[in-house]
Amino acid sequence: MTRLLIVGNGPAAHRFVGQAHRRGYRGTITVLGAEPVAAYNRVLLPSVLAGVLPPAAVALPGPPGTADVRLGVTAVAVDRRRRLVLTGDGHGYPYDHLVLATGARARVPAVAGLRRVDGRPHPRVRVVRALDDCTNLPAGRVVVLGAGVLGVEVAAALRAAGRAVSLVHCHPAPMNRQLDPAAGGMLVRHLESARVEVLLDGRAVEYRRGVLRLADGRRLPADVLLLCVGAEPDTRLARRAGLEVRHGVVVDARLRTSDPRISAIGDCAELDGVVAGRVTVAWEQADTLAAVLTGEPARHRPSRPLTRLCAGGVDVAAIGPTDVPDGQTVLLSDPVRGRYARVTLRHERVARAVVVGLPHAAAALTQLYDRDTPLPGGMLGLLLGAAGCDDPDYEMPAEAVICMCNNVTKQALHDAWHEWGARDVGALATATRATTGCGRCVDVVRRICEALR
Amino acid sequence: MTAVLVVVGHGMVGHRLVQELRSRDTAGRWRVVVLGEENRPAYDRTALSSYLDGKSAHDLTLLGHDLLHDSLVEWRFGVRVTHVDRVACLVTTSDGASVRYDALVLATGSRPFVPPIPGRDLPGCFVYRTLDDLDLLRAAAAPDRPGVVIGGGLLGLEAANALRLLGMRPRVVEMAPHLMPAQIDPDAGRLLGDLVGRVGITAHCGVATQRVEAGADGRVRAVKLSDGSTIEADVVVFSAGVRARDDLADGAGLPRGERGGFLVDDRCRTPDPHIWAVGECAAVNGRVYGLVVPGYRMADAVAAVLLGQGDAAFPGADMSTKLKLFGVDVASFGDAHGRTEGAWDLVYADEDAGTYARLVLAADDATLLGGVLVGDAAAYPVLRPLIGHRLPAAPEYLLRARS
Repeated sequence: MTRLLIVGNGPAAHRFVGQAHRRGYRGTITVLGAEPVAAYNRVLLPSVLAGVLPPAAVALPGPPGTADVRLGVTAVAVDRRRRLVLTGDGHGYPYDHLVLATGARARVPAVAGLRRVDGRPHPRVRVVRALDDCTNLPAGRVVVLGAGVLGVEVAAALRAAGRAVSLVHCHPAPMNRQLDPAAGGMLVRHLESARVEVLLDGRAVEYRRGVLRLADGRRLPADVLLLCVGAEPDTRLARRAGLEVRHGVVVDARLRTSDPRISAIGDCAELDGVVAGRVTVAWEQADTLAAVLTGEPARHRPSRPLTRLCAGGVDVAAIGPTDVPDGQTVLLSDPVRGRYARVTLRHERVARAVVVGLPHAAAALTQLYDRDTPLPGGMLGLLLGAAGCDDPDYEMPAEAVICMCNNVTKQALHDAWHEWGARDVGALATATRATTGCGRCVDVVRRICEALR
Repeated sequence: MTAVLVVVGHGMVGHRLVQELRSRDTAGRWRVVVLGEENRPAYDRTALSSYLDGKSAHDLTLLGHDLLHDSLVEWRFGVRVTHVDRVACLVTTSDGASVRYDALVLATGSRPFVPPIPGRDLPGCFVYRTLDDLDLLRAAAAPDRPGVVIGGGLLGLEAANALRLLGMRPRVVEMAPHLMPAQIDPDAGRLLGDLVGRVGITAHCGVATQRVEAGADGRVRAVKLSDGSTIEADVVVFSAGVRARDDLADGAGLPRGERGGFLVDDRCRTPDPHIWAVGECAAVNGRVYGLVVPGYRMADAVAAVLLGQGDAAFPGADMSTKLKLFGVDVASFGDAHGRTEGAWDLVYADEDAGTYARLVLAADDATLLGGVLVGDAAAYPVLRPLIGHRLPAAPEYLLRARS
């Protein structure tokens, strides 16, 4: 019987175990989780942070079948020759196949004062990565450092829970990797109208005596400082074991590392030069690996990029890759009501879309993108969620002025037709003077004639 | 008893007034005296560049045979009014004559504004307003030589087209960051710059002209810009705006608008009950309109008043414009800049096809307020009449409208 060993107990590992079981994996499965808690849904952590969800609410259902999950066990080395994983408590776990699902570690920026003098972490400074980071947040004003997806989500959630929040970002617009500048600006307006203080182009330099100082001299009082400046794949184990590692642990489309008996999935894995860093990708990789290890010729196909953020009244969606050439674009820009959508189309299909403040549109566009189906009708209707009139034989209103030079309405043309018997463009011109000015309305007058016949 | 109406100026709007009045004055209440400064009768100034593209002055004239020989209209061309005596109800002309009036309509139009930069009077500098200006330009143009147009608005692009028709290599200098800043938004302006570039006209935006430089022969040789660069130019055409011709105001004791023009109310009346002003020389409640269609509406309103056929106010101007130059279409209509409260934008852009359509919609998400079209303005005659109305169909259908 093959012994399957998984290092890591996050969403990727959890999903993998479930899928392997569902596919009838016949060997033993052992999971080594470094955190002392059962697997939980990391995506919900901002809600725990905001005190909206208790920690127990984010726990994932227990492992199915007979998987053996060891909590609080940290893997420190892999002996590939003996096929053994050595742990911090001095044990060795044998394997026939090893899956690395070690995830990522929060990046700590180069800001002075994040640690105490004695090297211990500052009690008011936290990263936002593990469940432990998100419980018992100290009271007072929260400053969130980093306005990527996580930072925006955390800031919005905390604000919605009634905390005073400032959001600091070193770029000119939040979520700059996903959004174009105009959408970023719209997002700022949403955050500000929710009363999140947003500071852009701000690089943090020092945190001292409860004040965060920025490079340009701005100072922010911060009772709590949350670091949301990104995560790095946790490749320590893989590196020490001599596996091929670039930014992440390099894997092929079957999620295999440079050692055929070792796979890697989730935030620690790099496929085709990309570490996706998204939970949906981690799940897809887990599914693929489960299929591969149960004998299917499965291959991981890079998924289509999709980011959706709904938190504290802020709704942002970034659909599709950012490097799509402009092609055909539809833009809806309504700063007054905080609505924004920029959709790039290719062959009548959604190739890229950024949506702010239009939740139904975001959902509709996501669906169209996922299924790669052509647009069913007009874009405006889709964006506003209205049925919209797609009838090509529409009616021009009667009071519409057709001939501007001579101030002739459609009604006037109709009257001339019916009351004066003017039945062609020339006769209408004589009766109403339409088309006798600059002449640009002649096509529309002709159309009206044809419609009347 | 026929009253005398004197019309000062025979441009497009002055002509419209005479036309409108004569067609509706079946009882012959008014005898009209038209005093036109140019040596020719009114012509279609909006089609000026076609004069260099095969059309003759005669082709452009607006004065038809019937009106020319109308017994109740006296036409005097090449005559400039120098003074208005409101007490005696008399106008004096440059040839020494006096004409009595019962009603006076001022339709003196505008003159080109030439910015006060050094070198503006050098031989080789021109303005772009009258057929005479075009004759001078034609005489000075040399094939394949560079020409610079100062001012990248509607008129500037027409002037650039004129230079192109004359075989020259035109460049346009515009102070705003993009072309046609009064009519279109920055993104549309960018595309317009690209499209115009594709037909050989280079636009220099975001720079001002500092001086016009002369060559050894004392004629225009180059134009120096505010960014330090210099552009070669054999010919310079100023199209940097117009100023209302309100010179008669002082002598007549009539007030001017803040930005010039004879100050009138929304019925085009000056403070004098016998004097009106229409067209580009009129400042309606202080505002001057530089397009012909608002002038037409003013002329229609005054004609109606003179005939006692209503007292309708000038209904406000539709500032819509459509331009087709060098194969590039541009249209701007309604509240193109989205200044109405609650207005928002819907833009359909196709980089590959080089088209841009921006619709400005009202807060009700259904009413069209205005828009801008660049690259393909075929939908203009369909969209413009829909201003103020609910969109009757999805924008894609309206934009694809072909007749």
